[in-house]
Amino acid sequence: MTKNDDIFRFTSEFSFENPALIVGWSQDSGGLSPKVIDYINQKTKSTGFCEIEPAGFFPLAGVNIENDVAQFPQSSFCYSQKHQLVTLKASEPQSEAYKFLSAVLDVAGYYCKSKELYTINAILSQTAHTNPRRILAVFNQAKLKKALRVYSLVDMTWQGKPHLSSYLLWLAKIRDISGVSLWTEVPFYLAAVEDFESIKTTVSFFDQRFALGTDTGVLDKHISQQDQKLKALRQENDDINRCIEALEIGLSLNEQEQMQIIRAVSEALSNRPVQ
Amino acid sequence: MGVKLYKEPELENVVMFCGWPGIGNVGLVAIDTLRVALKAEEFGEIEPFEFFAPQNVVIRDGLLEQMVFPSSKFFYKRLKGKDLIFFIGQQQPAEGMVGYAQGHKAYKMAELVLDVAEQFHSRGMYTSGAAVSMIHHSAKPRVWAVPNKAHIISELKAYDNTVLMSEIEGRDGHGAITGLNGLLLGVAKKRAIEAACLMGEVPYYLQGAPWPYPKASRSVVEVLAKMLDIEVDMSQLDILAGRVDDSIEQFLQSLSSTEGLPAQARAEIEKLLHAKQADLGPITDAEKKEILDHIDELFKGEDRDEKRRHI
Repeated sequence: MTKNDDIFRFTSEFSFENPALIVGWSQDSGGLSPKVIDYINQKTKSTGFCEIEPAGFFPLAGVNIENDVAQFPQSSFCYSQKHQLVTLKASEPQSEAYKFLSAVLDVAGYYCKSKELYTINAILSQTAHTNPRRILAVFNQAKLKKALRVYSLVDMTWQGKPHLSSYLLWLAKIRDISGVSLWTEVPFYLAAVEDFESIKTTVSFFDQRFALGTDTGVLDKHISQQDQKLKALRQENDDINRCIEALEIGLSLNEQEQMQIIRAVSEALSNRPVQ
Repeated sequence: MGVKLYKEPELENVVMFCGWPGIGNVGLVAIDTLRVALKAEEFGEIEPFEFFAPQNVVIRDGLLEQMVFPSSKFFYKRLKGKDLIFFIGQQQPAEGMVGYAQGHKAYKMAELVLDVAEQFHSRGMYTSGAAVSMIHHSAKPRVWAVPNKAHIISELKAYDNTVLMSEIEGRDGHGAITGLNGLLLGVAKKRAIEAACLMGEVPYYLQGAPWPYPKASRSVVEVLAKMLDIEVDMSQLDILAGRVDDSIEQFLQSLSSTEGLPAQARAEIEKLLHAKQADLGPITDAEKKEILDHIDELFKGEDRDEKRRHI
């Protein structure tokens, strides 16, 4: 790693044995991406070893405040020696995306000698929270697609403006790093809150793939609490119940119905105490 | 990372022509018309990653097949006694909120284009763009010519329909060329390469229009064809110019009937709609600003609040 030394800050030194790299972004619908990374880091007792400095990628003209707390761009790599896993939780750069993603791949390729890359994102879906979440997948090499065939991933077909994860996947391909972008479904009305079922689905994929032996008990508890709140909402509100029933059998809702359910669910999940 | 040449043709007595998008796409359309007419062959590109974000991704059956970036390509054509290199960019490398090229990336791209010019011992370079001018859309646009060395002035003046900055009323020989057109002229000067920018006139009230302005491109192509002593088929440009003229008339008609437009602005638009170039008369800066404010607002309206999902 010779080109971009000034944009990294290393805090620990490890000897890596071709760990896989899992990348999640700090902001994601349903809290999916950051929660999955936090969960994996916690359960695998990963240790931070490198950060990408924010200067040049973010305006740094002060701080944003979210939920009463000042935020700051963060791009931290953590490592689990036991599981040979590196994670990156990063804020999406607001400028110089190519330079930022190249820096990520410099750490992955030159420093960690990673051969496999995973990115995590939520994809909003007209599905009900009671339905199982699918994970849609985009691979940059056919050999990884073949290797992950056993995990019931759904092949994505799509064309349009690329997300940063797709750009990273493309740049990884150029460096001959196999990669897959995982797009886990999140019911659209859970976009603004945490969708624990999607988080669990994604964590379970990594658990199987890397034999992490993670206990999802905490997630199960959150799922149960959320389900209870939503069940109570359905019992109280016939319109919402009809909307969710429609989604459960694969029907779509119109814009007005979507707005109605988003408002009701957000209110129910933020205020309602668990019985 | 930088310039990637697929082959290195043996070229002599090279002149380079550069075109990229800008106001009315005047330069891009002019240079590309010449490139297509001469059937120039692609031989290289500037790799996009450092300059542009990808615009499109193609994912099929779970495989990421294609990532599409704006292209910046080199073409060549051998002519009798004068070989040509064309550089056609699909986008200018802009930074921040500025719409045209400036800053480090723009300078680096200009350097890379000049590297190719030097590699093939180019003896001259022409860029092209738009000159926002107080002309009417029914008028034949002139070509403003700005060289980077004084001794080229006489050559440029010899071509029909070209004007120098000093010949334009109120300019007194001064002005500015924004974006890569200007930057390239400067970087070429730094490297002692003769260069000139040929700018086709675009009516000031159309500078924010989403359409090309092929009439101005045609004027530039006429000068370039004369310079190279070649015939260029302009029929496609003329067809496009006719269509754009119709669109302008329709647009001005609809604008003049817009409710709530200040009377002063409406009067000026009516004047544009019905007058020929010579009848326009003087327009004050305040009137010009008022018209531009309203026209630009209408042009921008289509793109506003565009929010698209991306994967």
